[in-house]
Amino acid sequence: MTDALRPAWSEPFLDGRRDALRRERPIAALDRDAAFGGSDGSGVLVAVIDSGVDGANPAVGGRLVESVRVELAEDGPVVIPDPEAIDVVGHGTACAGIIHELAPGAEIVSVRVLGPDNRGKGAVFAAGLEWAIERGAKVVNLSLSSRSEALMGVFHDLADRAYFANVLLVCAANNVPGPSYPSLFASVVSVAAHDVPDGWTWYYNPRPPVEFGARGVDVEVAWRDGGRIVATGNSFAAPHIAGLAALVLGKHPSASPFEVKAILAATADR
Amino acid sequence: MTREERLLRAIAARSETARRLEGGGGEAVLRSVVEATVALFEAEAASIALFDAASGRLVFEVAAGEQGHGVIGLSIGPDQGIAGYAFTTGQALALSDVASDPRFGRSVAEKTGYVPRSIVAVPLVDDEGTIGVLQVLDKRDGQAFSLRDVELAGVFARQASVAIRASRVERDTAALLRATLRWLAGAGDITGGAAETELEPEDEAALDALVRRATDDLAQDESDGLWRLADRVARLRDADPASVELLVDLLDVLVRRAEKTSRSRHRGSAATGRGDPDA
Repeated sequence: MTDALRPAWSEPFLDGRRDALRRERPIAALDRDAAFGGSDGSGVLVAVIDSGVDGANPAVGGRLVESVRVELAEDGPVVIPDPEAIDVVGHGTACAGIIHELAPGAEIVSVRVLGPDNRGKGAVFAAGLEWAIERGAKVVNLSLSSRSEALMGVFHDLADRAYFANVLLVCAANNVPGPSYPSLFASVVSVAAHDVPDGWTWYYNPRPPVEFGARGVDVEVAWRDGGRIVATGNSFAAPHIAGLAALVLGKHPSASPFEVKAILAATADR
Repeated sequence: MTREERLLRAIAARSETARRLEGGGGEAVLRSVVEATVALFEAEAASIALFDAASGRLVFEVAAGEQGHGVIGLSIGPDQGIAGYAFTTGQALALSDVASDPRFGRSVAEKTGYVPRSIVAVPLVDDEGTIGVLQVLDKRDGQAFSLRDVELAGVFARQASVAIRASRVERDTAALLRATLRWLAGAGDITGGAAETELEPEDEAALDALVRRATDDLAQDESDGLWRLADRVARLRDADPASVELLVDLLDVLVRRAEKTSRSRHRGSAATGRGDPDA
């Protein structure tokens, strides 16, 4: 498949195209109540790997329990505490806010891999992901990806480690063609945006690599310094699915990544 | 200097002249990309910022649209604002109601003389990573950018990346020379792409030394008459036909004079005119 011909990831989820998502479901449509009724995500730790999370932003509801940042030292990336919990852009706070909106009981840990001191190098990102897996997060939201071919092996290994440790990686699909890790690996949940203004509407796409469509157009999100902003992008679709996964895991703590994926597919609007 | 080295120097000098005569061919492609973007989106402005490794900043290189030009030459930190976010994460995104939030990158926007309501930012990506950002500001009909717009901007960004990659390779004489030599040595392709077979480190070092000798002091002296001439000729591209005609007549006279002087100098001494690469 040449890059130029690769379809735009959000295309299958847009108005007018969604009829193509209809299919004979292998599992009967599951009742959402059975999937996560009564759960608010309590007991589930969700990691947000991004630009940091502003813990004081009301949208995060005080659920930020830990903040770290990754810095590039001479002999490689190091993870250090970031007790001030700042967000250098606003983007990580936006993602955390969406997760909190859907799963208000979930605890959030922020891993800042972007900041004034680095350019979000792939190695820093990989170190952040590794830390999140080891920290015991059950869901990791990745509204960013790396294009470094050199790090493909590293990310593949981390995606496998997450999968075998029952950690669900939820990744925003990239709008720009070309390699994108780990968002295009089979074991992760890859998410693009749909244009329905409802966070509780999501779609399953039986034609991977992008399997889920969630709200990502004109979403009012929290931003840095307590602000709010209206934003569009796959970045904002991923945390919707991360929030839903937290709800499922709140009700079914033993569910493995593939079971959570199957439950989300079976409870999708289409 | 060996015959081969003299030959390489000659190639380098001619390639440098051609590069200067091309006069920002790469920029012309970038400009056409932002102009097409403005037209297609019916946007107030579009711009391209490229990462400048020397300063570590994103520099706005070209812009189009009624409100676009104020941004040219401005630079921002690579993680500043929405352009910085798209650059550092490689994620495309769109924001609306930007102006209503006073915290959002307003200081940069105000420097350009135009504070947008909505922005689309998509990363410019080539095989080696993210090299810059394409931004589109405000649709003229006041509507917000849709997801389709974000994806469409991504297609334009891809065009721009290809153009930048191509023009960077041509624009850099040393890189061109190195790519050619590597290709002759059987490593890498002529476009400067990734090598299929690696050269031994000592061959790599020898190649670097060769390229350095061929390009050394090539562009050191910007006041060199030949480069000044090349730059002027490049600028003539925008001149009207009558001026070009006049200049051709003037040049005819000058060239005849130069030939005459050169002949008489050759008779008088062994010195040759500067700018003759075979000298």
